Amino acid sequence: MVKNEDDGGDWLESVLRAEGRAHRSAYIDDDGFSAAVIGRLPQPVTLPAWRRAAVVLMWLGAAIAAAVLVPDVFDQTFRSAVALFVGHRVGFSDIAGLVVLLAAMTWGSVVYAMRTD
Amino acid sequence: MSSPPISDEALIARVVVSDDRHAFGELVRRHQAAVRATLRKLAGGNTALADDLAQETFLLAYRKLKQFRQEARFSTWLYRIAYNVFLADARRMKELPMPEDADADELAPAENGASTSVSRQATLSVDLERAMRVLSDAERAAIVQCYHNDLSHEEAAVVLGCPVGTVKTHILRAKQKLKAHLGAWAPA
Repeated sequence: MVKNEDDGGDWLESVLRAEGRAHRSAYIDDDGFSAAVIGRLPQPVTLPAWRRAAVVLMWLGAAIAAAVLVPDVFDQTFRSAVALFVGHRVGFSDIAGLVVLLAAMTWGSVVYAMRTD
Repeated sequence: MSSPPISDEALIARVVVSDDRHAFGELVRRHQAAVRATLRKLAGGNTALADDLAQETFLLAYRKLKQFRQEARFSTWLYRIAYNVFLADARRMKELPMPEDADADELAPAENGASTSVSRQATLSVDLERAMRVLSDAERAAIVQCYHNDLSHEEAAVVLGCPVGTVKTHILRAKQKLKAHLGAWAPA
């Protein structure tokens, strides 16, 4: 990038350029300035260590509560899972339902655990 | 043997990626003198105000660092933030207080024949500082960016957020005013 052209014999131009050189060569001592700036930075967002364990316990409690309150749904889900693992022929809709259920629970747990508020 | 200094770009990447506050502290240490000096010029020598604005500048830079696209030098980007912070403060305060002697008709060199070249230069520097206070904020900012920070007109236009032609106009008008106030310093 081309610097601004000098105005030749303009005395004010010379004065301003000399003043500019003096300005750039004069160093202002830090004198605690940087520390003051760092001290005013917003605090980093950190999640408490117990939060992840609490979230897992809450989801476990929710699952138990669901099993107790709506036993039919729990029973059906459990039977589907067992059928899947013991090798019985199960329909695509059973597998898809289980996958969707597990994915939804995983996604919900992750979203809740990663909340920063 | 000391290792080479880490570039500004590498420090910025550390701050953006991992919120490395030591890296940001190093950036502040590297650029604080230039930013504070620039703001002192813009604020007409009000050191306390300039340092407050400089702190605001760096805090804003920290918050906006992810937006820095490295299309310009980091220092130029900082100057732009500093100028915006200064303008916002000036609008809030309506106008900067003018020192009592700033509206003197014309500043003249000392007539003392015993004054040395050094003292003459120092006196001229003080008179220039006082004359700068009669400029508008935009004119003073254009002079500070082009002469004190040694930016090209194009770079100054980026910092000041205006067209290059406007920068040139501000410089021209500023120099006319400075010549009027420093007329006694003109060579015979």
